[in-house]
Amino acid sequence: MSRQQHREELIKFLRSIQRRDSAIKEVDDSQSLVESGLIDSLAALQIVSYLEEAYKIDFGDNAIDPGDLRTVGTILDIIERVTTS
Amino acid sequence: MTPTTLRDAYRSISQLHENEKLAAWLQSKRAIVWLTPRRRRQILFFGALLGGTIALFRRQSQWRDHLSATSWLAPALALPILLALVYLLYLAAIHFSRLPAAVRRRPQIALHLVFWLIIALAWITPEEAGVWKTAIFLIAVSIPYLIWRCGYMLLSGQRGKAAGTAFRDHLFYIWPMWGGTNTPQGKGADYLTQCEAQSPAAYARSVLAGIKLLILARIWDLTKLLMGVLVFSNPKSPLAPSLGGYSLEIPRARTLLTNEIPASLLMTWLSLYLEFIWETLDIAEDSHFWIGLLRLFGFNVFRNTYKPLLAKSIVDFWNRYYYYFKELLVEFFFFPTYVRYFRAWPKLRMFAAVFAAAFLGNIYYHSLRASGIAAGELPKIWVSLGRPRAGYCFLLAVGIYISMLRQQKKRGTGAQSQAGAALPRRLIQIAGVWTFFSVIHIWNLKSPATLFDRVGFFLSLFGF
Repeated sequence: MSRQQHREELIKFLRSIQRRDSAIKEVDDSQSLVESGLIDSLAALQIVSYLEEAYKIDFGDNAIDPGDLRTVGTILDIIERVTTS
Repeated sequence: MTPTTLRDAYRSISQLHENEKLAAWLQSKRAIVWLTPRRRRQILFFGALLGGTIALFRRQSQWRDHLSATSWLAPALALPILLALVYLLYLAAIHFSRLPAAVRRRPQIALHLVFWLIIALAWITPEEAGVWKTAIFLIAVSIPYLIWRCGYMLLSGQRGKAAGTAFRDHLFYIWPMWGGTNTPQGKGADYLTQCEAQSPAAYARSVLAGIKLLILARIWDLTKLLMGVLVFSNPKSPLAPSLGGYSLEIPRARTLLTNEIPASLLMTWLSLYLEFIWETLDIAEDSHFWIGLLRLFGFNVFRNTYKPLLAKSIVDFWNRYYYYFKELLVEFFFFPTYVRYFRAWPKLRMFAAVFAAAFLGNIYYHSLRASGIAAGELPKIWVSLGRPRAGYCFLLAVGIYISMLRQQKKRGTGAQSQAGAALPRRLIQIAGVWTFFSVIHIWNLKSPATLFDRVGFFLSLFGF
């Protein structure tokens, strides 16, 4: 799967967990998801669960910084790093 | 003056750090241009060495009653040993992949074991060791302050972000020259570097944001002083003589807890709410000062306290009230538990992670702070574990867990707008948060009252 395909899947997932008061339409890869109010900090946990299920990422083994879940770009970096290693 | 003019004036003052003209003027100043990130870090590094030395002498003076021998030599011996320890941990962080597998898998547990060994060494060193015993004791009492900061350094190594960093990139936050609490305000190297101003323009904005926070800290300090006189009738306040003796004379909650002063039910509730507001102002004042200083040095980090009294849920409040303590608990307790255990049971998984952080982590953090640990006073350690704060941590954990479940339920059901939620609804939500934290604060009040005395006091609030 290419980065673009991963991105589309991720945006689809983010739409399913978005805050009720801020719909995700366009999101920049470097835009902070929590700070811009698109998702709340609790949703970061759901991103962890999503990445575990969809990409079999083991966060316990890979010591991933929760801060790396802050933007679409950094989440895609994690996916690439783990799927290519 | 119209309301619009007033609102604009308020905005221009409160958004001082975003004033483009002011930022443009400041960024051209010689000092701002000269203070490059490298020079700022050098100042902070040497400041850390000086601050660390002063702190050790202060600790010797504070703990004088526990020491059989005090001498200038003890801090002078303790300082290089502590620096060597931090340097070894720095080497461990930058060569993380070369550490033994067991340490790589659980670096934080390994770090805490090392520190507990030092504490044990302080316990078993005989009095005859004289100044050496004092030096080891000083190292042990410094541990609660250093351990979480060193933890962030190891975390950076574990995430592969420490390689290529210099020792000075770490020492300045491990032992910040202005002191501060055991909670690392601004976290560690990774977050600080991410927020560091790299250009004069960004530095000027950071300085303005820092000045704004320092002003706010003074405002909250004055508000507390006024509250002390006008609400709580504090006769020792420096403002007391100038306010003509006027006061609402609301009793402090801790005096009600021990039945020192009789009060009606209404007065008791009022006292609890006001105590909660006072505590919030107190945290805001201190943390605005630390974060303000960090911003003056170009680290434009998040505030520690950000409008917590406007929070609409328990989780939201916890995120706004003491951000860096919450981050500490999340990074060292919540996240590691969440990613390792009960993956197949989502609710249990979250429950375990919340309790690991808000209950166990919270108790452990405060136990480390307890006086007497380095002195080996085991009864005091036991008391610190079983003290009423455990009740506070337990109720906090339950509240956060329920609040998280409620938020999760609300989320993902479409994008219907709640932004314009009716004012009464928002006020009810805010009042709910105030009530929850005012009530659980009963178990956090400084008072000789036991855990069960506090349960009795809590029940009395509802007429039992």
